[in-house]
Amino acid sequence: MPATTPHPVRVSPLLYCAFAFSAVSLFATSAHAQTIPDLVIKNATVMTASHGTIEHGAVWLHNGKIAGVGATVNAPPGATIIDAAGKYVTPGIVDPHSHSALGNDVNEATSPVTPSMMMIDAFDNNDRALYFALAGGVTTELLLHGSANMIGGQNISIKNRFGRSRDEMLFAGAPRTIKFASGENPKRVYGSKGQLPSTRMGNFEVMRQSFEDAKVYKAGWDSYNAKVAKGDKDAVAPHRDLKLEALSDVLSGKLLVEIHCYRADEFLTEEAIAKEYGYKIRAFHHALEMYKVGGEIAKDGTGIATFADWWGFKDEAWDAIPWNAVMSMREGVKVALKSDSNDFVRRLNQEAGKMVHYGGATEDEAIRMITLNAAWIMGVDDKVGSLDIGKDGDVVIWNTDPLSSYARAEKVFIDGDLYFDSSLPGYGTTHFTGVMHGGGFGGSDDESAEDAQVGGGN
Amino acid sequence: MNKNYSVILSEASKRAQRVEGAQPKNPEGARARHTATLLFNLCTLAAISMVATAAHAQAIMVDTTIKPGITAIVGGKLLTVTHGTIENGVLLMENGKITAAGPAASVKVPKNATIIDAKGMTVYPGLIDAETNLGLTEVASDQVNNDLVETSEEIFPNMHVYDAFHAETEHIPIDRYNGITNAVVAPRASDTMPGQDSFIQLAGRDRDQMLLNRDVSLAMNFGNGPKRGGRGEGAGGGRYPSTRMGEITQLRQALIDAQEYMKARASGTSKSDDTASGKEGKGGKPGSKFDLKNEALIPYLKGERPVIIGVEEGHDVEAIMELAQEFHLKVVLSRLTHAQGVLDKIASYHVPVIVGPIYELPEAGERYDAVYSLPAELQKRGVKVTIASYDNEFLRNLPYAAGYAVAYGLPYDEALKSITLYPAEIFGVADKLGSLDAGKTANVVIANGDPLDVRTNVKQVYIDGIAIPMVTRQTRLRDEYTPKQ
Repeated sequence: MPATTPHPVRVSPLLYCAFAFSAVSLFATSAHAQTIPDLVIKNATVMTASHGTIEHGAVWLHNGKIAGVGATVNAPPGATIIDAAGKYVTPGIVDPHSHSALGNDVNEATSPVTPSMMMIDAFDNNDRALYFALAGGVTTELLLHGSANMIGGQNISIKNRFGRSRDEMLFAGAPRTIKFASGENPKRVYGSKGQLPSTRMGNFEVMRQSFEDAKVYKAGWDSYNAKVAKGDKDAVAPHRDLKLEALSDVLSGKLLVEIHCYRADEFLTEEAIAKEYGYKIRAFHHALEMYKVGGEIAKDGTGIATFADWWGFKDEAWDAIPWNAVMSMREGVKVALKSDSNDFVRRLNQEAGKMVHYGGATEDEAIRMITLNAAWIMGVDDKVGSLDIGKDGDVVIWNTDPLSSYARAEKVFIDGDLYFDSSLPGYGTTHFTGVMHGGGFGGSDDESAEDAQVGGGN
Repeated sequence: MNKNYSVILSEASKRAQRVEGAQPKNPEGARARHTATLLFNLCTLAAISMVATAAHAQAIMVDTTIKPGITAIVGGKLLTVTHGTIENGVLLMENGKITAAGPAASVKVPKNATIIDAKGMTVYPGLIDAETNLGLTEVASDQVNNDLVETSEEIFPNMHVYDAFHAETEHIPIDRYNGITNAVVAPRASDTMPGQDSFIQLAGRDRDQMLLNRDVSLAMNFGNGPKRGGRGEGAGGGRYPSTRMGEITQLRQALIDAQEYMKARASGTSKSDDTASGKEGKGGKPGSKFDLKNEALIPYLKGERPVIIGVEEGHDVEAIMELAQEFHLKVVLSRLTHAQGVLDKIASYHVPVIVGPIYELPEAGERYDAVYSLPAELQKRGVKVTIASYDNEFLRNLPYAAGYAVAYGLPYDEALKSITLYPAEIFGVADKLGSLDAGKTANVVIANGDPLDVRTNVKQVYIDGIAIPMVTRQTRLRDEYTPKQ
């Protein structure tokens, strides 16, 4: 559709992103990377996330990418060498669920269906929450619309190049994603206004009606495009509706669908609706009851982005158990951990460490939950999330095992470039100048019901 | 290996195998499991509907009444807190008390003792959380079941959390599962003087067995939080006190009133004793009216019990300390987070400090580790630092907060004390709790590693020497849904 859709008023999201991304790509490969000398981190315990841990290993970064990983690497003589004896190296941490840097604009809570909201429009690249995340080793984040709405807005994927411009922080080539939600938050937000939906029945009816409308809209455009393709010069373009266009893109599989929901019955309902209308669900977020139906959901190929051990903060989190992630993983579900919080994003490594405790994840499995699997949730696992040749040079050096209580991120590299160094005075940032902005919304409102009542849910 | 102990470990390892060894199930297996699930849910539903007002709280109570017999935990690494680390140690428990904790070479195991083989394990005293809301809330968003704070007045020293403490809360087994055996229950910090705290044990036959000290300390708060018209519970815009001036004035007036009351009662005349109808209080002098609010403050004006002052910011500490010193209160500073500018001043008060939560976000202009490093910075200045969770759902993560303080410079031994001996000292129970010493209560934890590390699994908790069943609502759900081989 976009190829033949006129864009009289507003550049379509896809093209808009494409413009931004092409600019970033140029920037990353030419302007920056060539000025960064090759870097070799050696003598470290290298946790690759994809192919195990290498003791006394090395990682070589060249032109912003990973050029070598192993016991030894063939770096050129001029490369900068960091001797990381006694230290640990991991891929940059990936947080697949955050509301950082979106100020107080997380929820367009005026209608339960707002798929044309673009989170890029709220993105504040100077938000200090990004700095705190960077200092915790987080190099990639998915910044999502909140959970007030059944169908929220389109999220943005960022590389945490803190100190760079807004557009330079966007993740070039990341797929478009959209946020859905069901359960208590939309119930509360609209129920309290005496509007639909105030129940789970209402939740899903709103969704079904939206997709029924989108089907009609899509059929109209498909028919028009078919006529144009046949050379029909008299074909009249249907009215362009941003909301239905976005839903139509969901039906066409152009958006990865990320769904906030907690309960096992809701996973099943969401999958059934997805099948009915012909789209795939990329991941359930929170998903605290996945351990109950993991085997079923694994068949649909849907992953989860879950909390390590959050529970009890609301009714739909009452059956949460800290073994959820590992049990779901053993059932074949792709499992990532996420922060949903300006606080927890700073120590996702510890949250992963808890997976060794709760359910006996191997260190490899635990690390993958905050790197490669999290990248998969975002659809960027071909670019980041593991220490493999050709992937982005996003690397963290830790003082000790990152899965322990005692780990601190000492140096954080993104695209081969140093962005954070804890040994530096002041903030420890290398590219940031100016004044950091406040946290605004402050991350999760699932963290406390009180916040949720104010914020409308995310 | 002793029978008891093999039960502990094999249960745990069986669980691990069941989870780790899980293979894709055949459809029949899956269906059977779902049927079981359905039945389970139906049963749960039935149970819940029978107790509609307390739908969630059905924790199994553990009677900790002393039982005869000697238990010997042998071969483990003892973190005694008071007398160092003992590799290959022996810990004896009898009549609910620790009777010995020392090296295997010097502690004789009685012949009739039940032996618990703790080889490869770490043994340490039960952890103490210096501030929680345990038993005052079940599901945070369910206002109808929340008893966090009485909001109708700000000055309420006569509110006693033990009147609301719900001993059957499902939170307690879940928290003790991670080695927390004692806690302070405090009202929420949204008012200047919201009530008195209770010191509890996380096991007992009933509420009374769990309440070790009903009115252990007075909660007092100052700063942005207690302002009315802010975001506090029940906050109505523009209500007094809406500024720090208002808070201090309100507190000072309350303390003056109580002082006058105390003096009047001591001399047999009370200001409020102006009518013949004045109700005579228990223990009061003839004719004097017993006033619950003023009466509640007397032990604190006499300095008999600690006042826990919740105050986050440096300049607020200075303001509230002036007031506290004016009335000679026995001060414990609490909730300290953004006080890096006045660390030396804080040290000069020579009062205990409860830090945290150390996960509080730094303020504008602060470095990322400004709060993480606060415990270490205070400790360097000679302050005894206690770490609290100030929480309910995240309470079980208390030891990890102490571990994180170590990552940012707090010596390990001090971190361990911050959640054992130091809180015991603050709340006047260091003769009974907080270390592995003969004569203390047998609240003991056996884990498979470092208690402060997130990867460590607690294997067994003892409270009053009783082996606590390592079962929680969450382990029951886990076991119910773990695929059966």
